[in-house]
Amino acid sequence: MRRNLWLYRRCLGAQLRATLEYEGDFWIMSVAALLTQGMGIVFLWAIFRAIPQINGWRFWDVVLIYSLVALTEGIAVLLAQGAWSMAVTVNLGGLDTILVRPYSPLLQVLSSQIGMNGLGNLALGGSLFVAALLHVGVAWSPGRIATAAFVLAFAPLVKIGLNVLTNCSAFWLKTPWSMFPFAFHTLGELARYPISIYGVVVRVILSVVLPYAFMSYFPATAVLSLGSSSWLGVLTPVAAVWCLLLGRWAFRRGLLRYESAGS
Amino acid sequence: MARIEADDLRKVFRSPDKRPGLAGSLRHLVERRYSEKVAVDGISLRVDEGEAVAYVGPNGAGKSTTIKLLTGILVPTSGEVRVNGIVPHRNRVENARGIGVVFGQRTSLWWDLAVRDSLELLRDMHGLSTAEYWANLDRLVEMLGIGDLLSSTARRLSLGQRMRADLAAALLHDPPIVYLDEPTIGLDIEVKDRLRAFLRQIVAEGTTLVLTTHDLGEIEDVCSRLVIIDHGRIVHDGGLRQVIETYARERVMHVDLAARPVSLAGIATRLAGATVIEERDGLGVAVTFDPLAHTAGDVLTAIQAELQVVDLRIKEPAIEDVVRRVYAGQLIPGPDDSPDDSPDDSPVR
Repeated sequence: MRRNLWLYRRCLGAQLRATLEYEGDFWIMSVAALLTQGMGIVFLWAIFRAIPQINGWRFWDVVLIYSLVALTEGIAVLLAQGAWSMAVTVNLGGLDTILVRPYSPLLQVLSSQIGMNGLGNLALGGSLFVAALLHVGVAWSPGRIATAAFVLAFAPLVKIGLNVLTNCSAFWLKTPWSMFPFAFHTLGELARYPISIYGVVVRVILSVVLPYAFMSYFPATAVLSLGSSSWLGVLTPVAAVWCLLLGRWAFRRGLLRYESAGS
Repeated sequence: MARIEADDLRKVFRSPDKRPGLAGSLRHLVERRYSEKVAVDGISLRVDEGEAVAYVGPNGAGKSTTIKLLTGILVPTSGEVRVNGIVPHRNRVENARGIGVVFGQRTSLWWDLAVRDSLELLRDMHGLSTAEYWANLDRLVEMLGIGDLLSSTARRLSLGQRMRADLAAALLHDPPIVYLDEPTIGLDIEVKDRLRAFLRQIVAEGTTLVLTTHDLGEIEDVCSRLVIIDHGRIVHDGGLRQVIETYARERVMHVDLAARPVSLAGIATRLAGATVIEERDGLGVAVTFDPLAHTAGDVLTAIQAELQVVDLRIKEPAIEDVVRRVYAGQLIPGPDDSPDDSPDDSPVR
């Protein structure tokens, strides 16, 4: 375990050095991340100007959920962006060299990219998070702070696990350019808003089938003690472990049918 | 001691059977048809410690697929494989510690990193001590002449430089088994010579080497055993000399003549079983003979009895001839299993 983490840091560090060679990329991606997330906030603000409350959720409550998406997404992008390179790695044969190195192939894939634009997400998410906390008026007790820290630490792992799971489709779809995982990523964006506003089917999908809601909505309910299901938020670590196991399972199934490429 | 043991390895690839064009692709969505391609069809192989094996065959014969099965990259459809006593695809990390792999077509270096950084990452993955790392690196730098490449980014290296850096990366942990898949593709002669000398040295030191190549000089230079594969099956496995004696026994005597001969029939009658053809626009003759039936002296005597010889050369068979014949499809598996009834390309639903 310690060796795995240490090597993971080494690989990411190497990617960081490599990425810094393309400084332009870094700035473009960061600005793009800020703009995308920022637009979402403008959209929210516009809605709440017309309707002050949605299903019992006020503007700043939703901003809190929104900021959690930005934060968890930021961490996933920064630390495990390699999941998104799976289609190219698998279907252009790059996995061959990874498989003959003495380090977990999945961890090598995950650490094969560092998404510096995650910093943009983290900056925006961080400021929204702080602003939201100042406005939601929660009474902070040591217990609540501990719960919040615990739950929030696991939330990014939910996203990382689901990224691995959906990107493993590369082993089956056999194309280096697939929109499949992006489609699910977009589905996950629904979790930026309180999922109680959706119908039953969407709610079940987001909380059980592909539990994207555990990267934002459920942790937020736990922190705010809001809604009838706030206890579910405490299950975030369970969801995180489940998603990571699903991702690992899919990757292993994929390796069994991996066909390499070229000669 | 057996380093590599493969028993009846098979690998079948399944690919979608699409008709051409958009209509074909759409049709495939509704009615899925696949064809199976048998890339490796029952290969059994045993390679001992310190052996250098050349693994050759025409394009698409299954060479690279076999290497990928032996290295644990691919999971076999059926059959067993053990390398250093472990099943490679079940225990990839453990397997990777005991092997070094170079794919000629693909680098194992990190594209955007300096070669030195790539090597240090590999050092950490292999868990080498600082002392081991420097001892091995110094040796590789000297043998491969890569001292001035270490600070270059992998993507800036030329093909020959990249190949040498890749070899260093594959051998950094001093693995007992080394697989090289087309390692000298596109390299110039000087670099090739250096690589061959290097390979001879590591083999002499006890490394087990499996080499796939189209370069016949490389085989003769480095390897003592030749495995020929075609249509996914081993068609020959044996010592290099033995192969030549089995498949390329015939020698050819080329003779230059003082004048155009009237007829060559006389020579043919004197040498039963030999073939005589005219060369150099009638001013030469080539006699192909089996040295077990006729000595070179017999052949020369027969020619001189008919014609006036000015000069002569005898062409020894080379491994090249054997392999060329395999490539041309002249060596097929034994008569009992003709390739016609192989299950290639049979559509399944």
